[in-house]
Amino acid sequence: MEPSRKQRWQQLQSAFEPRFKQMLLVSLLLHLLLPILSYLPFFSQQAIEKPPVYRVNLVNKIVKNPQAGRPEATPAKKKKAVKSKPKRKAKPAVKPKPIPAKPKPKSKPIPVKPKPEVKKVKPQPVKKVTPVKKKPQPKPAVSKIQENNLQKRLEQIRAKQQKKAAEQAQKDRIADLKAAALAESSKVRSPISSAPVGMADGHGNEAGVSAIAFVQEFIQQQWNLSKYQVPGNPEAEVKLLYNAEGTLLHYKFLKKSGNTIFDESLIRAIARSRRLPQPLPESMTFEILFNLKDMLGKP
Amino acid sequence: MNFFKTILFGLILSSLFVLPATAARIEISAPGEQTIPLAITRLLPMGIGNTQPAVATEVQEVLEGDLDLSGLFDFVDPAAFLSDAGKLGLRRNEVDFYQWRMLGAEALIKGGYSVSAGKVTIELRLFDVITQRLLTGRRYTGRLKDVRKIAHTFADQVLKSLTGEKGPFSTKIAYISKRTGHKELYLMDVDGHHPIRMTNHRSIVLNPDFSPTRKELIFTSYKKGNPDLYRKEIYTGRESRLSLKPGLNIGGRYSPDGREIALTLSKDKNSEIYLLGTDGTIHRRLTNHYSIDVDPSWSPKGNKIAFVSDRRGNPNVFIVDIHSLEVTRLTYEGKYNATPAWSPKGGRIAYSRLDDGIFNIFTIREDGTDERQLTFGTGNKEHPRWSPDGRFLIYSNDLGGKGKSIWIMRSDGTGAKRISAPGADDSHPAWSHHW
Repeated sequence: MEPSRKQRWQQLQSAFEPRFKQMLLVSLLLHLLLPILSYLPFFSQQAIEKPPVYRVNLVNKIVKNPQAGRPEATPAKKKKAVKSKPKRKAKPAVKPKPIPAKPKPKSKPIPVKPKPEVKKVKPQPVKKVTPVKKKPQPKPAVSKIQENNLQKRLEQIRAKQQKKAAEQAQKDRIADLKAAALAESSKVRSPISSAPVGMADGHGNEAGVSAIAFVQEFIQQQWNLSKYQVPGNPEAEVKLLYNAEGTLLHYKFLKKSGNTIFDESLIRAIARSRRLPQPLPESMTFEILFNLKDMLGKP
Repeated sequence: MNFFKTILFGLILSSLFVLPATAARIEISAPGEQTIPLAITRLLPMGIGNTQPAVATEVQEVLEGDLDLSGLFDFVDPAAFLSDAGKLGLRRNEVDFYQWRMLGAEALIKGGYSVSAGKVTIELRLFDVITQRLLTGRRYTGRLKDVRKIAHTFADQVLKSLTGEKGPFSTKIAYISKRTGHKELYLMDVDGHHPIRMTNHRSIVLNPDFSPTRKELIFTSYKKGNPDLYRKEIYTGRESRLSLKPGLNIGGRYSPDGREIALTLSKDKNSEIYLLGTDGTIHRRLTNHYSIDVDPSWSPKGNKIAFVSDRRGNPNVFIVDIHSLEVTRLTYEGKYNATPAWSPKGGRIAYSRLDDGIFNIFTIREDGTDERQLTFGTGNKEHPRWSPDGRFLIYSNDLGGKGKSIWIMRSDGTGAKRISAPGADDSHPAWSHHW
């Protein structure tokens, strides 16, 4: 084996250029160098950072223990709850089937089919309908005018029933769609597995928004300040005490920024936040740090 | 008894520790709204005298124009105003702040006027709607033709109370216009109204600059054939030649203290930057290079001068320290960088750069970092100059092909609008100080 391999190698060498070995080595080194180079800060590639996905439901009530919002991150219990909802909505989807059967009677076998449905829907029309059925039998005894009247009333009732059935069908469809959407949304996965879930600080078991997130959002919305008003990045800290009804009881500057315009804009924001639009789960104290970090450097 | 007292004391003490239940820490790192909702009501006639709706209209127009330019405000639609807008209540307790709050206003301007015997009295108030306070109030008396000036002055006052620094709206802008067929020196208001011709040289007038301390201007004129530096007192109209060295006497700029003038002289066959006394004598030569050195502009501290030089190839902006004469290079990009203007508030230098055949306005920090392009699109934007408070920039723009006109924008490049009438080839603007 040994000599033959050596011979083959020599043959190969003779076939290629004289410094083939060196070239091979250099090539190998260069290839090894490539990944090393790529890790150097010199060639650092900027990873495309996708922003984390938050789901914040501001319409929801404020709760003490907001749940984590990303569907797939919710604990097993919640999954059950999610499933149960579509079930409830699926039931009405089954019900409508017998009702759509109503339209059939439109054709003309009037008396028989309407009965059961009408009974279900409204007791009054049922009474009216039943005599109608009886009357057709002693047909000759009834005058043509009466018959016409009856026919008209019957038609009206039928129209009513149809309308109701159509409405019901529509409602059921909407319910179906909602259920489908819910099922769909529970399948949605965040593109980043490590993304914070729903309420950024969600960890509890109640559906709703944490009071802290709500107050932060609300007070920020009340704060008006133009970038042309204040240079740099002043910073002030305010302590706010709210009672459980969401009324501001007391506020105090823990630290003033030293910029009167900035501090006054905060006083205005606090004045506008004197009453929160929703009650808090309990009396709460907030220490809010105001600054312009997110406004800096933006044209 | 003592026992109960200690228990009671203990209870109170413990309640103190229990009460502050949860102190949540929150950081809010930007305001929710970055404009102040402002309501400007129409001036109402007050007291006896004639009613002149034109006064109210004019004040409103000027206030809206100036305050809109500031970029601070978002105006509340006058169509939504409620009954309080129709009431002349200029005192704090006469204003129905609740109404204004309902409209979302945070600031409110109310006012009244009266006209009698050609004299107009205007009272204006700025209220804080949220805290229900009077922020500023002024009573002005003047002639009917002063109405615009009064409104500009109050706009300055509004900015002062909302930003801590007076606005520049009651100042003047000098510029060169060719509306008579010759390039002459003109003055106008900051919104382009009241243009007045200052010179009648019937030749070429260039590069005006205001004295920071006196009501006078310097400029270069070819009136006597040579480009000489002139000084002109604005109110007396008195004019004198300040520098008449052979060759160029151009680009004169007053130092921030008004004691010296930096300008370009070419008396030694090559253009160099010099410092002149206000009597016209040469104090110092600042540059000494075989290349062309022009367009000086003072730093607000008065210790450095930015200028344009082609000493490294293309024209670029350089900075010279007037004490050590050390020269540092500021710009590197672009084919042609010209007419630097140092912000009076320091920090940034504006200049125009030729790129792809078009001049645009750029700013750069004085240490050469953070270069930003402020203007885009067609039209050559040249000769940028700062407002005395550093909030705005004015420049010439030949957009539309009808010759140049003067434009204004905020120092971040937003809110650009034309202020001088088109078709007169207006250029070389300069902004006065507060007099």
